[in-house]
Amino acid sequence: MLTSQEKPVWKIEAKSSYLNLNLAELLSYRHLLFRLVRKEFLINYQQTLLGPIWILFQPLLTMVTYVFVFNKIIGVSIGSKIPAVLFYFSGIVLWNFFNDSFGATSKTFRDNISVFSKVYFPRLIVPLASIITQSFRFLIQFIFLIIILLIFIFARGFDFHFSPYAVAVPFIVIIVGLLSLSLGLIMSVLTAKYRDLGNFVDIFVRILLFITPVIYPLSSVKENIRWVVQLNPLAPLFELFRLGVLGEGTVSPWGLAYSIAFTLVSLLMAILLFNKMGSKLIDVI
Amino acid sequence: MSKTIIEVNNISKLYKLGTIGSGSLKQDLSKWFKQSVLKKDDPYFAGEDTGYVDDQDLWAVKNVSFDLEQGESLGIIGSNGSGKSTLLKIISRIVQPTTGYVKGIGKISSILEVGTGFHSDLTGRENIYISGYTLGMNKDEVKKKFDEIVAFSGIEKFLDTPIKRYSSGMYVRLAFAVAAHLEPDILIVDEVLAVGDADFQKKCLGKMREFSQTDGRTILFVSHSMQSINNLCSKALWLQNGKMRELGESSAVVNKYLSSVQQLKLEQHWDDKATAPGNEHIRFRKVELVPMKSNPGDPLDIRTPLVLKFQFWNETDNISLSTGFHLFSYSGECIFDIPSSPQKFNKGLIEGECTIPGNFLNDGSYFISLIVVKDTSVQLFYFEECISFDLEDYRGDIQWYGKWMGSVRPALPFRMEQKEPEF
Repeated sequence: MLTSQEKPVWKIEAKSSYLNLNLAELLSYRHLLFRLVRKEFLINYQQTLLGPIWILFQPLLTMVTYVFVFNKIIGVSIGSKIPAVLFYFSGIVLWNFFNDSFGATSKTFRDNISVFSKVYFPRLIVPLASIITQSFRFLIQFIFLIIILLIFIFARGFDFHFSPYAVAVPFIVIIVGLLSLSLGLIMSVLTAKYRDLGNFVDIFVRILLFITPVIYPLSSVKENIRWVVQLNPLAPLFELFRLGVLGEGTVSPWGLAYSIAFTLVSLLMAILLFNKMGSKLIDVI
Repeated sequence: MSKTIIEVNNISKLYKLGTIGSGSLKQDLSKWFKQSVLKKDDPYFAGEDTGYVDDQDLWAVKNVSFDLEQGESLGIIGSNGSGKSTLLKIISRIVQPTTGYVKGIGKISSILEVGTGFHSDLTGRENIYISGYTLGMNKDEVKKKFDEIVAFSGIEKFLDTPIKRYSSGMYVRLAFAVAAHLEPDILIVDEVLAVGDADFQKKCLGKMREFSQTDGRTILFVSHSMQSINNLCSKALWLQNGKMRELGESSAVVNKYLSSVQQLKLEQHWDDKATAPGNEHIRFRKVELVPMKSNPGDPLDIRTPLVLKFQFWNETDNISLSTGFHLFSYSGECIFDIPSSPQKFNKGLIEGECTIPGNFLNDGSYFISLIVVKDTSVQLFYFEECISFDLEDYRGDIQWYGKWMGSVRPALPFRMEQKEPEF
């Protein structure tokens, strides 16, 4: 038998277990994680005209479109006092965080096959790097949201009431991040094996946007079809986010509990599935 | 006392032909149903022992076991598709074995390609970090080795240039520099050295030798260069169709492997004069090339003396005949043309022989043609490519692995001495 005092003893077996999350190993690759985050920023904004300004430019442009189309042309009601610019921008910022994190993590295997087939490192490092990258982007956009809010308060006389729910905002962001990571991990495994699911995922996310309170508040949804939106675990999170930041939103404790429970269950499933399948997928991609 | 560093136990890897990559949700569900609900055996494991290729199953690696001790290096040889790379990928943890296990002590790093983790938009500096971390270095190691890596690769001036602007030579040098400064306990190297020029390969092999023999680390090395396997590895494993054909001391395994793969046509003979090659003047009965080997199991290498023997029937009385012996390299270049001196012969069987001494030809593939000439000028019969043979390289203690130039490599007397000592 192999024994050693100072050096790690490892074993590669035919069976992979659901419960072999090796945190110590993950931790030993933390420098790779930070370098991958750095790489994402470098390759996305090198050789571009506007550079990192794109992080703000994209949500701004989306917001202008939404204000124009939904508010000015169609006239969707967005609740009482909040300026449309702030309403849409807050929704877009959080939605982008979910959408981009999910999109990046769900392509983990597809985009990294050339590295995965040549060298071993804990595969979880890659989706974690994606999530951290997206968190930084979110942070920048969020600071910009606060700046716009301040401009509206001081320059435009927006009657803002600071809500005690503001303390929940970081917590909401973590939950949204974990949810997108969980769903992304599950999809990364499934799409690696069944490639056509990728198309389905794109459609699914597009539909999800419309049953998430991004372009409308939950309060403006008719009572008889409100359950459709409430089935979406993102809905209470978006409402609470808006309540915390802008002081208006409709959240019930049950809705929030549902979102948290949904996130935790999918996170558990995602990690189990990723552990179990991570080492087998290289044969099928 | 040396201890076992890596233990490979009964490793097998099954690939299912045809189903890889196809949407096999239905198949997976039925397999899961049979296994988990009906508690039946996995249908894909039935008939496991029937053979190497079973309808749609391919055992890329089958029942491979070996142990390596600290400081030992194992060369893995075999023809293409024999499972060498799959075995390395299993030990590197990239693919999972179907059966068996691998156990090891200490850090393991694998270099299966040059430039793993490189991103072409990033600068040389960024790529050193990212590739180093990807290959398993920690922060201190990369920091400590950074200057050495840069010096080894010789790209100081281009450190902050994106590597997509590098020449391919610079790219390879940088990539190898990172890999060469890994310090794992077990190093796994696939045929990556094939990409560089002779000078680069020499540098790489020198680094690997230092790694195993000076630092006492363990290496697993796949190569098609028998010379480097012989020089670098203490043990060798010969894989054939995924199975272990031979495991043992490297030169013995390499010799057995080479004698089995050499493409030889060393002997041809015809008992029936009517079907024998030739014409109304000359019919060949036999041509053969007899290697003067001390040990029958040895491969033909550049040290082996070779005797060409031939017999032919002559159909004309009182004729002046000579035979020309033409040796060609594989590319068709004539290396020599040696005629016998003309002699008078009568009708009947004629025999001849000519010896190529050992330590004369360079390594490579050769073929022989024989020409029979009347009166030193009239061609009676030209027997083209009647013999073909390969000569393996042999360099003894010379630690240089590049391709040896030239068609011949004769052991000519060579003298060198210190003329004016300087104190």
